[in-house]
Amino acid sequence: MRSGALRLALPALALVLIVSMAARAQTPNKQSFEVIEHGRYMATAADCTACHTVKGGQPFAGGGALETPFGVLLAPNITPDLQTGIGGWTDDAFVNAVQNGIGHGGIYLYPAMPYTYYSKMTRADVIAIRAYLDTVQPVHNRVVANQLPFPFNQRETMVGWNALYFRPGDFKPDPSQSEEWNRGAYLVEGAEHCGLCHTPKNAMGGDEGGRAMQGSALQNWYAPDLTGNRHAGLGDWTVDDIVLYLKTGRNRYDIASGPMAEAVTNSTSHLTDADLRAMAVYLKSLPPGGRAAPQPISDQDPAMQHGRAIYDNQCAACHGGGGQGIVGLFPRLSAAPLVQQEQAASLIRVVLEGSRAVATAGAPTGPAMPSFAWQLPDADIADVITYIRNAWGNAAPAVSANDVGKMRQALHREAQQAP
Amino acid sequence: MSSHPRVPGHADPGRSTMVTRRHALLPSTALLLVAPETRAEILPGGTGMPWRPFAGHPPEVVKPGPWVFFTPEEGAAVEALVDRLIPPDPETPGGKDCGCAVFIDRELAGGYGTASGIYMSPPFLPATPEQGLQAPLAPAQFYRSMLAALDQFCRAAYAGKTFAQLPDGEKDQIITRMEDGSLQLQGTVAKPFFEILLRDTRQGFFADPVYGGNRDMAAWKMIGFPGARYDYRDWVERHNERYPHPPISIAGG
Repeated sequence: MRSGALRLALPALALVLIVSMAARAQTPNKQSFEVIEHGRYMATAADCTACHTVKGGQPFAGGGALETPFGVLLAPNITPDLQTGIGGWTDDAFVNAVQNGIGHGGIYLYPAMPYTYYSKMTRADVIAIRAYLDTVQPVHNRVVANQLPFPFNQRETMVGWNALYFRPGDFKPDPSQSEEWNRGAYLVEGAEHCGLCHTPKNAMGGDEGGRAMQGSALQNWYAPDLTGNRHAGLGDWTVDDIVLYLKTGRNRYDIASGPMAEAVTNSTSHLTDADLRAMAVYLKSLPPGGRAAPQPISDQDPAMQHGRAIYDNQCAACHGGGGQGIVGLFPRLSAAPLVQQEQAASLIRVVLEGSRAVATAGAPTGPAMPSFAWQLPDADIADVITYIRNAWGNAAPAVSANDVGKMRQALHREAQQAP
Repeated sequence: MSSHPRVPGHADPGRSTMVTRRHALLPSTALLLVAPETRAEILPGGTGMPWRPFAGHPPEVVKPGPWVFFTPEEGAAVEALVDRLIPPDPETPGGKDCGCAVFIDRELAGGYGTASGIYMSPPFLPATPEQGLQAPLAPAQFYRSMLAALDQFCRAAYAGKTFAQLPDGEKDQIITRMEDGSLQLQGTVAKPFFEILLRDTRQGFFADPVYGGNRDMAAWKMIGFPGARYDYRDWVERHNERYPHPPISIAGG
C-alpha cells in the first residue's frame, strides 16, 4: 500500500518539478531585485570572475590570460560597456554565447569558455546572470581574446570540434532521483562546470568518453578523481566532508590549494548550504570510476628507503610521522585520495614551490607550505613523493627525478611570466 | 703597572665609576631620532596572507675555501688555538677539523666582526658586565691585534716560532696562562681574549653547520642532539626510548 502510494507520488513530484522549471523558463523581469540577486548568485556559482576578472583588476573587465594546451586566450570584457564589453548585446546573443558557444557576430567561441557545461543551465538562470552583469560598472577595456597560433586561431575549426564533443541542451532532471540530487547534478554538471578540470581530456581538448570526473592534469596541477573510487576518489568522503570542503576549503582530509583554492574562494564558499549539500549528494552518487588500487611499492625498495629518510627529516614535523596531518592545518597524507592520484603533478608542484592553502570566512587561517626547491634536488623530491604515495597503506605509481626536473623548469617559467 | 684595555663584553672591575643614566639614554635618544619610517599595508579581507611561489629565505651556507677575514698566519694561529681548546679525541675530531676556525673567520668577516648591531661610539666608560660592550675595538680588530701580539710573543720567547709551530705541550702552557690572567701580550692582559676565543670556539663547535663549524654535525652526534627538527609531537609520550633520527641542519639533510 505504501509503496503503491510512493509510485503514484513520484511522477507527481516530477510533474511539480517540471512545471516549476517551466515557470522559471519564462523570461524574468531583469529589473527586479530578486532576479538581479539571483543572477549574482548564479554568476558566483558559474565562477565567471575566475577568468573574466584580472587579479586586482576591475570586476569582469577581462584581459586575463588563459593558458590552454593550444595557446593563450584572453578572457573578454563582460562588463556592460557599449564598445568593448557586452552592453550592446541582446539577451539572445548573451544566451547564445553562454550556452551555444556562438559569440557576438556569429563567431565561434573556444571551449575554454565552458559553454559545454553552461548549456545545461536554464535560460532563466542565464538571463538572470545577464541582468546582474548589466548592473556592474562598465569598463572600457578592449580585449583581443584570440591569441592562439595557427591553425587553432581559426575559429571555424570549432564547428568540427563542437560536432564531436559538444552536446547542447538543458539539464534533464532524473525523475527517479531526489530533488536534492537533481539540484546537485544541475550545479555540478552546469554552472559549477566541475568536469572542465576534473574530467580527463583527449588530445583535442574534448572530454574523454566514459571517464567523467576521473581526474585530469591541467596547468601543472592534477585535478583529482571525484568519483566514488575509494582509492583515489571520494568513496570514503561523507556528504558532510564534501560540504565542509566546498564551504571552507578544508576538511579532515585536505585543504584546497591552487586552482581549487580559487574555485572555493570565488565560488563554492559563497553557495548556500543547501546547494553545497545537493552537490555533495550528487557527487557521492557517482559510481567508482578509474583504476583499482595498484600494488604498493615495497618498503624495501631503495627509493622508498631514501624517501622515508627525507620524509622523517623534512615532512614529518608537520604531516606527522604516520602521515596523519593535523585537521585544518596540515593535510593528511595517509589514506588521502589526493596523494594517490594516477599522476603526482600536484604533489611535485607543492613540494617544489610551496603552497598557500585557501583562506575562507569559515576557515580563515590559510596555512602555507614552504618551498623545498632550494634544498632538495630532483631525485630527493622524487623519492620522498614516491614514499608518500606508497607508505601507510597508500599505493600509487613511483615518481621519477625526470618528472620533478620537468616540473621545476615549468614552474620557474610560470613564476617568471606571472605579473 | 699594566694597562687594562676595555674589550668586548669585559668590564674593568678596578674602577668604581659606572655608566650614568644620562650616558645610557643618549644613544637611545639618537636612535629614536633616526628611526626609519615603516609602512603598514592593509590586506583585503578574506584573501589570506600574501604568497608567492618559491618563497623563502634559505640560510646562507658557509662555503669551504680560503680565509675570508684571517691572513694565512692568523688562520694558522686560530686553528692551532681551537685544536687545543677542543683537542681531537675518540668521540669527535678536534676544533680545527670541526671547522671552529672557519666559523670564527666567517663571523669576524660579518656583522659580529664589525659589531654592526652594537652602539660603538664613545663615551667608553667602565661598566658592569651586564651593561655589555664598552670598548672601541670591534671583535675583528680585537682578534687581529691579539693574534699579532700572540705570535710576536711566541717568536720572542720560543726562538722565532709562531704559536702554531709550537709543540702541543707549550701551546697548552701558553693557553693556561692566558686563562689564569698571568700572561700579557704586548702589555695587554690576554685573559679577555681567551674568554672570547673560548666562547666563539664553543659556538663554532655546536652551532648549525651552515655557519662553517660543527662539521658533519659531529658535536650534535656526540651529545645526541637531533638538530633543527621542527616538531617532536610523535615523541612527547614516548619515554625512556632513544630518539632514532640523525641530526639535521637548518639547510636540510
